[in-house]
Amino acid sequence: MEFSLLWAALTAAAATWVGLQLWSERIPQNATDRLIAATLFGLVVGRLIAMIGQGVNPLTNPAEIVVIRGGVSTVAATLAFVSSLVWTTRGSVNALDAMAPAVLLGLAAWHGGCLWSGVCLGTPSDLPWAWAQSGSQVTRHPVELYAALGLGLAAVIVSRLGWRPWLRTGVALAAASGLRLVTEPLRPSLDGGPTLWYVIGVTIGILTAVFGDRISEGRQTSPT
Amino acid sequence: MRRNLALLIFLLAVLTGCAGSPGAGSALPDLPEVTASEFETHLAGLGRPAVVNVWASWCLPCRSEAPLLTRAAETYGNQIEFIGVDVQDSQTEAKDFLVEYGLTGFDHFFDPSRAIPNHYNAFGTPVTLFFAPGGELVRAHEGIVDERTLALNIDELVQLEG
Repeated sequence: MEFSLLWAALTAAAATWVGLQLWSERIPQNATDRLIAATLFGLVVGRLIAMIGQGVNPLTNPAEIVVIRGGVSTVAATLAFVSSLVWTTRGSVNALDAMAPAVLLGLAAWHGGCLWSGVCLGTPSDLPWAWAQSGSQVTRHPVELYAALGLGLAAVIVSRLGWRPWLRTGVALAAASGLRLVTEPLRPSLDGGPTLWYVIGVTIGILTAVFGDRISEGRQTSPT
Repeated sequence: MRRNLALLIFLLAVLTGCAGSPGAGSALPDLPEVTASEFETHLAGLGRPAVVNVWASWCLPCRSEAPLLTRAAETYGNQIEFIGVDVQDSQTEAKDFLVEYGLTGFDHFFDPSRAIPNHYNAFGTPVTLFFAPGGELVRAHEGIVDERTLALNIDELVQLEG
């Protein structure tokens, strides 16, 4: 089972690399290294937070950190990933903007990787493209493929936006959070999912896209 | 120096706060030991779907699953029977585990010889088995179960019942 997750992760990494090649304008040096570091940092932080939430002490059970299927806090992982990218690209707003479409494409592939990890299906549906688990009669929305298609489309749209500081980053964040928000009701869940965090992500994304250039201008003109 | 002392106190607090407390489960009664056929009869008599989690106190991934199963039992406990099967374990350690990881919200059976999962051809620990009303095995998930897989298969059982 862990290998299915690994395949999904490798698919995502390959798609991100393809994205960096496709949309290579203004891509900073070592972009791949920065993305790998940010992803690993996000995974570790997300896993640690999930373990603490589960009542498992990471200090006394360090081996369990690698049990990714045991749960990763999506919110913590995302915050750590974005923070790491912001930190490693500090002083170069364009770097984040340049990497945003590739990150969205990687996310799209991660969702599409459900075909390997076997968790594509969502709530029951009679739509013609709905399918059932093996041995089941209940056809279901392939919700993760909806998310993958949406994120792929968002990657293309973001790649065509202009270079106003933070615009691409903000739109990418709003798109990724928004797609999770609209597809969340189609996912079977024990408690409805972290929809509030997705709303916060959309809001921060929109604010970043709209007002990001003013923050950049303020920084550039402020006395040192 | 003060900073190091504060850090040390913090680490000790975390370690002792999260560490298991031996004997925590001593107040619990021993888990009933059942054979595979007795368990099968028990499931058939429930009259509703069941989620059976095979666990052990020595099983590291079982700890990660525990909060998930507790949440699932709280949410779906009125529609689905949740049952734990403790395998290849001792009563004392099993009961400590139940208390430490908050798994006291549903019934557990004791299966030291691992006869129950073997009966359903389910290998490894943890294993989560999903049964239709009447006790027919619908699906067996070997290895740690994540929230999506658990929620999806619970929904399958709910649809069966509906």
